[in-house]
Amino acid sequence: MAGERAAFLTQMVEVLTSTVSFGERLNNMVHLLARNLKVDLALYFGLDKARETLLLNVSSQGPVPPRLRLEFPLGQGLVGETARTRKSTIVHRQQPGVSAANAALEKLAPAYQTLAAFPVADDNFLYGVLILADRAERSLTAAERQGVQLTCLMLAAALRQAIVQEEAKKRIAELSVLFEVGKALTSTVELDELLERIVSTTAKVITARGAALHIINAVTGELRVSSRYGQISMECPALPQIPPSGAATEPPYYEGESTDAAGHTHYCLAVPLTFKGQLTGTLGVYDKFNPNGEYLPFDPENRQLLFTMAGVIVNAIENALTYQQVEDLAEKNERMVRNLTALQEISQVMLTSVQEERLQEIILQGLTQEHGLGFDRAVVLIVDEATQTLIGAKGACRSAATRDLPNLKALQVPPPEMIPVTDWEIPLRVDQGPLALAVLRKSPYHHHQTVKEPGLPPALEGKYAAQEFFVVPLVVKDRATGVILVDNQASGRPLEPERLHTLQMFATQAALVLENAHLYSTIETNNRELLLIRERMLESDRLAALSSLASGMAHEIRNPLVSIGGFARRIAKLVEPNSPLRGYVEVIQEEVTRLEKLLREILDFSGENLSYYGDHELAKLIEDTLILVQRDLDANKIKVAREFAQMPRLHCDDRQMKQVFYNLFQNAIQAMPHGGTLSIRTFPVERADGLYAAASIADTGSGIPMEVLHNIFNPFFSTKDYGTGLGLAIAQRIISRHYGQIEVNNEIGKGVTFIVTLPVAKYCLVKDVGQGAVPASVLRVPKGGR
Amino acid sequence: MKKILVADDEMSIRLLYSEELKEEGYEVYQAANGREALDIVDKIPLDLVILDIKMPEMDGIEALRQIKEKRPDLPVILSTAYGEYKKDFATWASDEYLVKSSDLEDLKAVVKRYLKE
Repeated sequence: MAGERAAFLTQMVEVLTSTVSFGERLNNMVHLLARNLKVDLALYFGLDKARETLLLNVSSQGPVPPRLRLEFPLGQGLVGETARTRKSTIVHRQQPGVSAANAALEKLAPAYQTLAAFPVADDNFLYGVLILADRAERSLTAAERQGVQLTCLMLAAALRQAIVQEEAKKRIAELSVLFEVGKALTSTVELDELLERIVSTTAKVITARGAALHIINAVTGELRVSSRYGQISMECPALPQIPPSGAATEPPYYEGESTDAAGHTHYCLAVPLTFKGQLTGTLGVYDKFNPNGEYLPFDPENRQLLFTMAGVIVNAIENALTYQQVEDLAEKNERMVRNLTALQEISQVMLTSVQEERLQEIILQGLTQEHGLGFDRAVVLIVDEATQTLIGAKGACRSAATRDLPNLKALQVPPPEMIPVTDWEIPLRVDQGPLALAVLRKSPYHHHQTVKEPGLPPALEGKYAAQEFFVVPLVVKDRATGVILVDNQASGRPLEPERLHTLQMFATQAALVLENAHLYSTIETNNRELLLIRERMLESDRLAALSSLASGMAHEIRNPLVSIGGFARRIAKLVEPNSPLRGYVEVIQEEVTRLEKLLREILDFSGENLSYYGDHELAKLIEDTLILVQRDLDANKIKVAREFAQMPRLHCDDRQMKQVFYNLFQNAIQAMPHGGTLSIRTFPVERADGLYAAASIADTGSGIPMEVLHNIFNPFFSTKDYGTGLGLAIAQRIISRHYGQIEVNNEIGKGVTFIVTLPVAKYCLVKDVGQGAVPASVLRVPKGGR
Repeated sequence: MKKILVADDEMSIRLLYSEELKEEGYEVYQAANGREALDIVDKIPLDLVILDIKMPEMDGIEALRQIKEKRPDLPVILSTAYGEYKKDFATWASDEYLVKSSDLEDLKAVVKRYLKE
């Protein structure tokens, strides 16, 4: 007996250590046992831990057809009970309850009388249950029982080894996959390439037709990146909010299934990718296939693998994303440096001029040149404070000629093509579109068609067609002095938001230099005005000194003249009409009259006369004066040509003004002793400081000799052997008292034109250089002053 | 016969005016300064005074003020070589302001206007 047992054990060990597959070994061991114990049937039930079920794996009668794959839940029947108690039992059919509890076994062992059950377990685990069935009612000897138990232990060892082997195999497979993945991940830091590798490797290791990866910004919900490989048969969610289809303890995943038109079933499996930052996403695989090309559902192992891969991938992707961000930042930095360099260069060029016009040109060049800010088109508009209007100053578009100039020295060359913008006038009101708003709010504006925001002001509709443009205000000391308008309409390049930033920096610089230039020109104008005023004052001082001398003398002369003339008249009355004395007396009378007239003129000139200011029409003053000289005009056969424009009334002393015209007419008449034309024209003149009324008096005489021209306004200067030589001096004095000017255009041989220009008080800011004759209440700030 | 006073420090002027005015049928008195003029105003019921302004002792402006105090109804014509006194509003109390001229027609016309009854 002992020899038999030893032979059995030897056989068993041989089977156990044989090199056949694990399943084969299991089979052989069960067969060997059945044969050795001479039982009709030996069955091995394996434990499915997850389902707590015992499943028939091996029968000593050969392969088990699917319909006979018996199952016993833990604790049910002899099989279940043995698994639960882990104790070997022998039962017989006639024992109560045995037949009912093990009815299922009838299918394999139809007429069993004896059933023996042994747990297959080692010290730690239960692997399954071994059942021996026999048609005879029998028992097992102690030696037999011991043999079976030994076999069971061997079975357990074999099973454990198989499990360990299986796990090792899985680990190796997993490791090799991870190695693959790792290789893919470390091969590049370029995000796109990396993602491509990830999806292709994923598909490959899972033997799937396709794979896809989505990463979204968890905060905004925007799709950040996505990559696809192979055939994607359906959409799997990009967000890892996947209904948990596994056990609660497992991380969530998604399993999808769909059938296409041809009746093929497609599968998809996706696991979440979770980054520690703000990104999230999914990694999905589609349609696992076997070597025959059939689609298979994904199993838990695939799932596990996908999870593992996801864990590894996440870090690589995060690295790549960070790398990409750093690269973006670096690029942005570089662009910024480029911009700043351009800005600095433009600023330097801007410092080369203080002329507003030139500066505007430089600004436009800086805005439109490739090496400047490179916009296609740019316009500078300036605020007119007086009228509260934004007025086009200068506009330019990029010219092809200057496009490829090597550096900003190009700014010194002629400017790009200018756009006419001086007729752009936009009232500064909130309903006047983005340009007015930029000034009023002192903030930049990015216009694009997609945003239905305030469009162009009515003043620009049609003139300015751009889908997208920037407007930035020119702000100095918290005051918007204008705006810069730029676009890329010609090339259609988009306007990136950071360019607006650069443009703002540029605008700050531009506003400053423009303001400086403006201040400079204001100072220049003021200087010029001061010089002019000083000149006038000097002149009026000279005239004042002269006139006080003249008036002192005149008075001393007047009294004796009155007596001489008066008595001469008396004598004339007494002298006989035919007496030669009469002639003498008349000479005295005439000479006295002439002297008295001279006196009057001198005294008028010295300013003794009172002023009578009122509002008068220039044309009327001229007409009234013409009447006084009509006789002289007729005598010299002089025609009068009139051309009077409609103008506001002048605030002036009408008598003095008539004196001016009288003197000018007299000069003209004397210049045309043999006839000619006296042309009189009135017209308005717009000047920086307001509205002026002008009158030109032109004769067709021979002109004023060049050598005396500079003297004509000097008192007591005369080319004539009659008159006082005060005519033009008086005229000039009266006009300057009215804050006007008198100019002379002299053409030798053609004639002389005097132009009298007088401020229309209500529209002028007249500088008070002499007596303040103009009431302050009618003064207004003139147009155009800033 | 209407009585006219001519006050002027220049004798020749007084003479000229007197002669001319007498010819027009007026009775003419003469004074060489403001003080003399006032004396005559006190003594004689004058109908009109012609006053020079620049005179020694008392000028025409002071004389004018005092005459108008005594006899506000008495017309006073200022006759002077100076136009600028027009700006002195003390002269505004006069009834007329004439700048002297060898042609006396203006003066005579004004006198006639005041004395026409």
